[in-house]
Amino acid sequence: MSGTDSPASNRRRQALLIAAFAIAYGLLATFVEHSYYLLILAVVPVWAVMGLAWNLLSGYSGFVSFGHAAFFGLGAYFVALAQIHWGLSPWFGIPCAAAVGAVAGLVVGIPTFRLRGHYFALAMLAYPLALLYVFEWLGYQELALPMQREHAFAYMQFEDHRIYVWLALALMVGAMVLTSLVERSRFGMSLLAIREDEAAAEAAGIRTLAWKLKAITLSGALAGAAGGFYAVVLLVVTPPAVFGMLVSAQALIVAMFGGVGTLWGPVIGALVLVPLSEVLHAQLGSIVPGIQGVVYGVAIVAVILLAPEGVFWKVKDMITRRRATQAPAGTRAGAVVAALPARSRHADGAIVFEVRNASKAFGGIRAVRDVSLQVRQGEILGIIGPNGAGKTTLFNLLNGFIRVDAGRILLEGRDIAGRRPYEICAAGVGRTFQVVRPFRRLSVLDNVVVGAYVNASTDAQARRVALEALAQVGLQNEARQLAGALANKQLRLLEIARALAGKPRLLLLDETLAGLGAGEVEEVIAVVRNLAAQGITIVIIEHTMQAMVRLVDRFVVLDDGALLAEGLPEEITREPAVIDAYLGKRWRIANA
Amino acid sequence: MLEIDSLSAGYGLVPVLNAVTLRVKPGEFAAIVGPNGAGKTTLFKTISGIVRPTSGGIRFDGRDLLAVAPSARPHLGIAHIPEGRQVFASLTVLENLQMGAYTEAGRRAWKENLEKVYSWFPVLAQRAKAQAGALSGGQQQMLAIARGLASSPKLLMLDEPSMGLAPTAADEIFERIVSIHSGSGLTVLLVEQRVAEALHFADRGYVLEAGHVVLEGSHDELKSNDRIRQAYLGM
Amino acid sequence: MAQFTENFLQALVAGLLTGSIYGLMCVGLSVIFGVMRVINFAHGDFMMLGMYVAYYAFGLLGIHAVFGATVGPYVAALLAGPVIFLAGVLVHRLLISRVTGMRGNALQAEGHYAQLILTLGLALIMQNGGLYLFGSTPVSIATPLASNAWTIGPLVGDRVEIFVNQGQTVAAVIALIVVLAFVAIMSRSRLGKALRAAADNPEAATYMGIDVARSHRLAFGFGVAITAIGGGLLASGISFQPYVGLEYVIVMYAGVVLGGLGSVSGAFLGGLTIGLVQQMSTLFLPNQLQNTAIFVVFLFIVLLRPQGLFGTALRRT
Repeated sequence: MSGTDSPASNRRRQALLIAAFAIAYGLLATFVEHSYYLLILAVVPVWAVMGLAWNLLSGYSGFVSFGHAAFFGLGAYFVALAQIHWGLSPWFGIPCAAAVGAVAGLVVGIPTFRLRGHYFALAMLAYPLALLYVFEWLGYQELALPMQREHAFAYMQFEDHRIYVWLALALMVGAMVLTSLVERSRFGMSLLAIREDEAAAEAAGIRTLAWKLKAITLSGALAGAAGGFYAVVLLVVTPPAVFGMLVSAQALIVAMFGGVGTLWGPVIGALVLVPLSEVLHAQLGSIVPGIQGVVYGVAIVAVILLAPEGVFWKVKDMITRRRATQAPAGTRAGAVVAALPARSRHADGAIVFEVRNASKAFGGIRAVRDVSLQVRQGEILGIIGPNGAGKTTLFNLLNGFIRVDAGRILLEGRDIAGRRPYEICAAGVGRTFQVVRPFRRLSVLDNVVVGAYVNASTDAQARRVALEALAQVGLQNEARQLAGALANKQLRLLEIARALAGKPRLLLLDETLAGLGAGEVEEVIAVVRNLAAQGITIVIIEHTMQAMVRLVDRFVVLDDGALLAEGLPEEITREPAVIDAYLGKRWRIANA
Repeated sequence: MLEIDSLSAGYGLVPVLNAVTLRVKPGEFAAIVGPNGAGKTTLFKTISGIVRPTSGGIRFDGRDLLAVAPSARPHLGIAHIPEGRQVFASLTVLENLQMGAYTEAGRRAWKENLEKVYSWFPVLAQRAKAQAGALSGGQQQMLAIARGLASSPKLLMLDEPSMGLAPTAADEIFERIVSIHSGSGLTVLLVEQRVAEALHFADRGYVLEAGHVVLEGSHDELKSNDRIRQAYLGM
Repeated sequence: MAQFTENFLQALVAGLLTGSIYGLMCVGLSVIFGVMRVINFAHGDFMMLGMYVAYYAFGLLGIHAVFGATVGPYVAALLAGPVIFLAGVLVHRLLISRVTGMRGNALQAEGHYAQLILTLGLALIMQNGGLYLFGSTPVSIATPLASNAWTIGPLVGDRVEIFVNQGQTVAAVIALIVVLAFVAIMSRSRLGKALRAAADNPEAATYMGIDVARSHRLAFGFGVAITAIGGGLLASGISFQPYVGLEYVIVMYAGVVLGGLGSVSGAFLGGLTIGLVQQMSTLFLPNQLQNTAIFVVFLFIVLLRPQGLFGTALRRT
């Protein structure tokens, strides 16, 4: 993903690899005579396409599908029925099957993406099984494609079975090119961000539902085409063969075996597993029925236990770890803390952001009660309060993760309450998280690129903006590292950069200073101050007051979900109510 | 009673604790204070075995604790009252206490412990049949402490008992902890973000910052320390 | 009209009787789901194993000879419980514990799906391995009760008569007893409370001295054992082959989700409802679409009440 070369040369190398592989595979077929082996050679790319289809949705976005047989089966039945009833040639039928798969994907996706995790996977399982029974009931227990000896070529019925291999290969190359285009674009990056952390992606301005729907539509199209071609190769379609669980499982398994979320993973998986199970089935099928299923079952159990995310990722992780440990540690001493620009008060600036009487309750617990606050242009507002005072809930209300029960949230006079997080991000509100939420398997640069999409018209522009944002927080040297390998301070800065890349006018920082050493706090404070100096308005949450006194222009104190006090730093630290909430009554009495 | 020697721990590649050393003597009230994210909760989780240390040692009553499985450690007499209370929300108050008495010692002394706990926290007796999830935050904190006491512990580890509580409820919890400590002679190890209160009651305090113990001392030493006054007490 | 009433009542009775057994099977799944937060894809296949254990115990182990054809099938069904319990404990220890519990949480990114896909692999191995071990010919346990029925009626002026299958009735009663016994264990015993505590908050349970890994192992064993008993009871009513589990895995999930996550009595009622839906659907739909009806109901349930299932709304924050 974050290759060492430019995207263009990477793309060229990828294209060459695909072409070389296709030529080698095609040549292999010319030397094979036996029709059974040719059949295997034709089926391998079909399952590779199924794996690529599954991978496009589940591998990149992390939404695991157990139901790709639904698209596959619909494609297969469409080609068969269209030829039987309308005399439609598979040459047209297969593209139509892709369209059928795409529509099915969209129809399935719209309701099912309301679910997450296990529920999504289970719901997906139900679709092909329901279809299986429907097709049996319709009387399509066994559908044979009619032989067309007169117009063999026009109906994709070839004497020479090698042509099937080449067609299958063409389909696979098409799927690979499509995948590689997706992988390197905004599309693929957004899906990866969703997989890593959907909420964080949405807060960074990614329209998560739209991308997921695009992914399942495209994925359904690939699976539909694969199903349609499968029907042509085998000439017979039965419900269990195309809607059965083994179909969905095979799609998932070839992808997982080779490597989830990679272009070559599904291809490698299909190349190893399909011939293996076919040959074993041919040799032992009569003695050991069901050997195919056992092979796939054992393969997937082994992969999960030994390399849960596929061989590709395991190797990549190992390499990155080794590099990370070799990197020289402790560059902190050399870090120069910039002279802090003098802060001017912003009492007269225009009001950028305003919260009016916001309230939110979870069950019986009133997490935020009737909170009102105003933030002026260029101001740094600190929100403090003990743990559990409702600070993070307030931020979640502000960036749209949760809806207010009552009250308004105004950004430059426009009410943004009830908008989706990506809309609020696009409107100019960026945020970071109390517990850092980087996209751990993406490079530092890619993390920030994802944040830049919301305000960039081209991918190249997004990259440029991301590099600028990284420079602003001083992470330019770490751009190529995986985010998961960063230390706490760098992760905090990365989150700021990601938010910054969206060109926000208001930045919400959630406990950005938490867990930092004294020197690190100074560095981060310098970064935040510089942002404010550039005119970005900042609201920062902290639960300790120490460093904040030197950072913010004004304080708002929350306690138990309600506004306890508001004022300049020197006023707030003398406020008795604040001392009670923070230091305990006893202390004040004892030291009075 | 509890001896921690240059203990380091972390999550993945990110180190959280850095060579932490501390001692708790029998009957002592010790407090660990420090900012959020300093590693206080991680230290507790390492003592309980939820987090595995990368190096260092922990001894409890002279025994190497790291050689003991996490779920066996409570049976040695360690009661960990976790951050955020973590009561069993779907179980009743009484069932929560019974789970506290899952240890052999707790089972043997069940009757007396229940009586004691009810006398310290009468509200729990009134609400014995209620689901723990239906209690208020302060009551849940009382239940969490009571649940720990029901195991007949030698060492009571309290992780931010005042977290998320209204100041008055927090004051009440503190009072109760102090009276339990002075009444029973139980060894108490407290983690708190309310630095002033914690240091006020503790015999001995440790200040944890970014995974390091930056300061330690007796009650009087810490209370008069300029750095503490400046950094934590806002004076 | 009288014909419809008769059909309706007949379907109602059949639904209640099948539903009780589904309820039992759902209770088994719900224990695993509730305690471990694990989706066991292979659950239907453990049920299948239970059916074959009952089948072979009845025929080969001589339970038929000892207890006779009337009582024997039920003894065989109950025997499937302990056998599959051991199988479940073993499978958990060897495979599932590696990707779940505290260890599973430590895995990054897709680690969360690891157990789902692992149990999918298990399901494939069990189904297809079953093909080799048991053959693909459908079998069934023969009991005279299965072909006998009590007649209720004639009701409503001699025109409505309902037949209550004796075999199914006995099976439903046994299912109910097993559920009640299990509910008693879970709510009263120390073990049951410890399992619930481990389910509620594994971290806090560890602080109480509860061995969470062991709790998970036992829960998995109990879960598959209970479902296996359900399978054993079903084995004298229907004919089955090694792929039978697949049909039931959705039946069971539909019931569990309908009844609410982690609630044992809810799972039973959920299963009962699914049995009713299945039998009632025959009044309006062709027989082959019974299962489709269940899948549609299942989809509706998960789509309409996704919240409250895994707390997705809370996880967003």
